[in-house]
Amino acid sequence: MVVVQRKELTLAERLYLPEVLRGLSLTFRKFFEKPITRQYPEQPLPTDEVTRGQPRLVVKDDGNIACVSCGMCEIACPAYAITIDGGETDRMIEREPKKFEIDMLRCILCGFCEEACPKDAIFMSNELELADYTRAGLVYDIEKLKRPKSALQKRIDYVYRLNNRWRSKQ
Amino acid sequence: MEDFVKELPVWVLWVAKVAIIFGGLVATAALMSLAERKVSAWMQYRHGPNRVGPFGLLQPLADGIKFIFKEELIPAGANKFLFRLAPALAAIPAMMTIAVIPIGTIQIGETKIPFSIAQVDLGIMYMLALGGLSVYGAILGGWASNSKYSLLGGLRASAQMISYELTLILSILVVVALSGSLDLGAIVEAQRVNGLWNVFTPFGALAFVLFTIASFAETNRHPFDFAECEPELVGGFHTEYSAMRFALFFLGEYCAMTVMACLNTTLFFGGPSVPFWANAPWYVGILAFLIKAGFFLFLFIWVRWTLPRFRFDQLMRLGWKVALPIALANLLVVGAWVAFSTKGS
Repeated sequence: MVVVQRKELTLAERLYLPEVLRGLSLTFRKFFEKPITRQYPEQPLPTDEVTRGQPRLVVKDDGNIACVSCGMCEIACPAYAITIDGGETDRMIEREPKKFEIDMLRCILCGFCEEACPKDAIFMSNELELADYTRAGLVYDIEKLKRPKSALQKRIDYVYRLNNRWRSKQ
Repeated sequence: MEDFVKELPVWVLWVAKVAIIFGGLVATAALMSLAERKVSAWMQYRHGPNRVGPFGLLQPLADGIKFIFKEELIPAGANKFLFRLAPALAAIPAMMTIAVIPIGTIQIGETKIPFSIAQVDLGIMYMLALGGLSVYGAILGGWASNSKYSLLGGLRASAQMISYELTLILSILVVVALSGSLDLGAIVEAQRVNGLWNVFTPFGALAFVLFTIASFAETNRHPFDFAECEPELVGGFHTEYSAMRFALFFLGEYCAMTVMACLNTTLFFGGPSVPFWANAPWYVGILAFLIKAGFFLFLFIWVRWTLPRFRFDQLMRLGWKVALPIALANLLVVGAWVAFSTKGS
């Protein structure tokens, strides 16, 4: 059993008014200190290469997306958020997605698609904001998912670095 | 300009003064709701409302529009007549008491116009009588809601207001004894003539402390906000209120605070008189009044965001066993001093 010994209050404390003045002086000093709140929409959160935001498709420097619609990410996705319809193309890779949809309402931002992709075609961007007025608007198609490679370069480098470290331990 | 003012019918001046002072009171009350949030935010390292207008200055307007357009609910089993009456009873007496506060004197040429709605010989009695009515708003609002939390809140509010009204009146009586008048204008004039604000006299200082404490309790402000007491009573006597009627309770509270701040200024800080500048121009006097009253309004907010709420028995003990005896003894000593001092004739 713990016996809590209560401290005897001094006369000044029992009079209460001096303590009130002490409290008032404290709050008055804090009154002039700088607010620490982040003004969110104007001051967005800082992101880093480690930030695992929403998945985005890489657009290579020649203007085509890197995806070959192999379906690995679709299978890896634990939330069944990705839907791919493949088709043929005249380019060397012969196959490209005719439809590539990510239902952002289902996506749990786990990054499995990034890990599964054999063609470095899908990466987790640093985009975090997700809002729309309709559910349909949050099912992103290819056009909404396309990002130039330069925008994702930091994340791509980071993933390569991570993978190389893992390989060197084998 | 002077001739023009002299030739105006009396009622024009009345209407103008009522419009300015009453409008100023309501505007102050509205701005206080913003000031409360801003000051509390700054004391807690936050920014406070800053989305509506520059620095959030239009926030009270946005709140007002929201309140007007919200749906109004009246609980089943409520006494509809009293339920609708109570917010008015809470707001109107608080607004009416501003009428006798002498804010200063407007001087145009040689014509002096007292800047207060009414110059009543029994100004303090008028204030106390109307101030006493504000209990009805709380108790009727609590009772008519047909809710146990509201009823408890109303009961607490009325018990607290009645308890602290004694201390409030006794500390005002000290000032009345010192000045020898119940007219607020005469009290200000006495302080100006003596060149000594009542707060700097020994009895006046004690009365000032008691008056300030009692005014916090009278207006149901922290640390005595037992009428609301969110953790225990949901929202106190206005739990069941919504939309503009709910806002009226708040308007009444902020108006009562404003009037108390003005009364504190008038009774203890010489109203519009400026220290070390006996012949200050009239606009400096009014400015001085507004600054002093503004400080007390700030004090209301400042204390709210500093002190925790008392327990109800502590409140009653402080009211009846500490504040009331001290106020009584103070009045007794002042009475004896005034009666036996040589200046009495």
